[in-house]
Amino acid sequence: MALAPGLDPAAFALGGKVPLRALAPASIEELAAVVKACNEAGEAVVVFGGGTLQGIGFSPARYDIAISTARLDKVLEYEFRDLTISVECGRSVERLNATLAERGQFVPLDAPSPGLSSVGGLLASGWSGPRRATFGRPRDFVIGSTVVLADGTVAKAGGMVVKNVTGYDMSKLWCGSLGTLAVLARANFKTLPLPETTSVALAALPERTRRRAVEHVAALDVEPSVAIALHGFPEAGGRDGQEGRLFLMFEGSHTLVDRATRDLRSAIGAAGVPETTLLDGTAATSAFARLLDAYGARLGERSLTYRSCGLPGEALSRCDALAHAATRHELHAESLLDILGGDAYVRVSTKLTAEFAAAVERLDASLGTSSPTYTIFNAPEMLRDGLKMWGNEMTSPATQRDIKHRFDPKATFAPGRFAGRANCSEGKRA
Amino acid sequence: MSTLGTRLVAALGTDVALTQPEDLAVYAFDAYSEDRLPTAAVVPRDAREVGIAVRIARECGEPVVPRGAGTGLCGGAVPRNGGLVVSFARMNRLLELDARNKRARVQPGLINLELSKAIAAQGVFYAPDPASQKISTIGGNVGTNAGGPHCLSYGTTTNHILGLDYVDEAGNVHHTSLDDPGYDLTGVLVGSEGTLGIVTEIDVRLMTLPEAVRVGVAAFADVESASEAVSAIIGAGIVPTALEIMDKLIVDAVEAHFHAGFPLGSGAVLLVEIAGYPDDAESGERTIAQIARECGALSWRAAAGAAEREALWASRKGAAGSLGRIAPNYYIQDATVPRTRLPQALQRVEEIARAHKLPVGNVFHAGDGNLHPLLIFDRRERAQVDAVASAGKAILEACIALGGTISGEHGIGYEKRETLPLVFSPDDLAAMARLRDVFDPKRLFNPEKIFPSGAVCGEVRNPAQTQSQRQTLAAGGAWL
Repeated sequence: MALAPGLDPAAFALGGKVPLRALAPASIEELAAVVKACNEAGEAVVVFGGGTLQGIGFSPARYDIAISTARLDKVLEYEFRDLTISVECGRSVERLNATLAERGQFVPLDAPSPGLSSVGGLLASGWSGPRRATFGRPRDFVIGSTVVLADGTVAKAGGMVVKNVTGYDMSKLWCGSLGTLAVLARANFKTLPLPETTSVALAALPERTRRRAVEHVAALDVEPSVAIALHGFPEAGGRDGQEGRLFLMFEGSHTLVDRATRDLRSAIGAAGVPETTLLDGTAATSAFARLLDAYGARLGERSLTYRSCGLPGEALSRCDALAHAATRHELHAESLLDILGGDAYVRVSTKLTAEFAAAVERLDASLGTSSPTYTIFNAPEMLRDGLKMWGNEMTSPATQRDIKHRFDPKATFAPGRFAGRANCSEGKRA
Repeated sequence: MSTLGTRLVAALGTDVALTQPEDLAVYAFDAYSEDRLPTAAVVPRDAREVGIAVRIARECGEPVVPRGAGTGLCGGAVPRNGGLVVSFARMNRLLELDARNKRARVQPGLINLELSKAIAAQGVFYAPDPASQKISTIGGNVGTNAGGPHCLSYGTTTNHILGLDYVDEAGNVHHTSLDDPGYDLTGVLVGSEGTLGIVTEIDVRLMTLPEAVRVGVAAFADVESASEAVSAIIGAGIVPTALEIMDKLIVDAVEAHFHAGFPLGSGAVLLVEIAGYPDDAESGERTIAQIARECGALSWRAAAGAAEREALWASRKGAAGSLGRIAPNYYIQDATVPRTRLPQALQRVEEIARAHKLPVGNVFHAGDGNLHPLLIFDRRERAQVDAVASAGKAILEACIALGGTISGEHGIGYEKRETLPLVFSPDDLAAMARLRDVFDPKRLFNPEKIFPSGAVCGEVRNPAQTQSQRQTLAAGGAWL
């Protein structure tokens, strides 16, 4: 079996653990054979795509073998007139969308670092980016999948049709399972036609304009495909006013985007925002790419990012509450708030790496056990296991643990990363 | 009275727990028309009562079958093994509308269309719109992951469910939300046809009502050329909100009944809806009309206003019902193929029907590749019943051969369970069984549904229509 000798295990280290070996199977059959062998030998496996979202969840409690999906990168089926595509999961998100772009199509996966991020890793991470409110989450575009289970079984679900209620929708289970149940080997997507044009609007927010600007943006007649209020996150581009800045993107026909940007100017103008910069064409798409990269950006070993999900109307308060708490613990807080989707990302950091651990541990402890739940990603590797990576509670934890146990009874896949390690509350007895 | 009945009455009272045969008769069947009387039924008022009923059923070793409006076409709500039917007739309220955050919290028994009607004034709507929406419930829609004409651009039920409450096999209530960390329990519960848990509350995603809606009708010489037009529209990068085809047999029946103004005399009509912003809808309509003409459309007519639009939709959604004029019975199939394979699939349907000497009508969600051939027969003629069973299976096999699958939106239920192995390998089915083991190790939630009789032990039976399936191929109120 050719298993790509020469992959350096050190490149796949997590939480201070370096795997014994790093393997890169070149076919789904090889992948199945490798997984089966590891499972039988009792070796713990972490599946690696591009590694861009490995910072979600706890680090694996045991870690012997890294399996890279890098060589599983083929397009398996693409009938563009069906608006469906099937790819191996090691293909990068960028290459998936490049293939689709040749036919004027795309899938809105919104991956940070899409050149590195693999399709399988993106799906397994449960990632959803800034376009989820308008287009849906990555999981909503998956119409079928093939996985390798811990015992080496290859199992498929769904198919290559856009409407399908044949059997359980197992793809939903694999998406967001963080590689703890199965290895995603193949994913089938429904695709969308690329919009005629894309326009990005950037606006610095002067003092006392943010809340009103956010309200006005939420009430726009033409829904932006992206509506983010940022404070900090310079990686995303643009210039902060006293209350940060807005990043909006409109996608559609020329007439629609013209109307949208006109409406936007008057709406946020009414909120006291004097200036809006408009970007079109490649300037707009590269600005969007910078924004996506900013989601995943970390500041060396002196930052981590909290994420809280919930009602869009409460996102601003959730975001500000967390930012204030961080400031109280002498952490610098930057925020990225999805006005339509309701997600709030708060990156907390210190100037000096040496100060970070103590400050963030105080903050994390202070967040207590009340809702909302903040989950953590991109924590420094050595800190992550001491923090509430999954927030305060995971719903129906017994069910979550049982799912893990049924699919991976020997805890071969990333043991301890996900369910079964967080503090949990059981279902209410009726 | 059965032990189950006695205990349910003691715990919930005779207002909630039904045990008399005359009270149970209505819970014996759905639109699949095979029937079996349950041992007892409950009509609970809240999740707590559902939990109590489930717990008692489990302690009695009796299966539990949830029931919405009973419009399912595949026997999903039929209590095949007796046991307990849980009806959601009383849990039918809109609990909370949050238009700002575009979501609503509803009870499972709420009728699909009632929700969109109740919230329209706030400028929002609930997108999944199965043709049965006038009477089918959102809980039932969740069970089958129902589709409808508008899922072409809006997606199916699963894309519009943000979270759920469900009662587990021990009778405990759980809440799931897409916002919560953990495995996506919401995603696996939707479409699980009541085999994993009993859903008691649903958080749905709402959408902003479109500013403009345009509907047009094109006439074609035959269904194949109408489907070519559908492929051309989609291939041109246009995804309208709906692309529906009806063939001559259906159009004639629909027009005789509704008089909505579909063109008579052509081989097929294509119904197109474009919703969105006014300029886009207008230019979309122009482009689509142009493509339709290039694909050989004999005519194109745009609906003049809301009344005309609604009349066209009402007759499309009532298509199956209007067949009552011409058919003693009909059997409706539900299968999906990749959209570009539609012309071949329709050709195969035609050949299969002809070989079985059965008239066939087609009314289907062309944009999604979702076929609904209606085989016309008389159930008093044994030979015809057998022919329908055999033709139905042949159609499924043909769709699978074209890269498609055996249900696009109706579900597998009891009807297609033995056909599932044509699509999935024993390993695929075993993975699904593992999930079921988590939620329902004793197989008390809607047993004999979805999975073939041998699937659990890995021994998958040769798929074939069973005797009872043949006997029950008859028309009910059918929905597509």
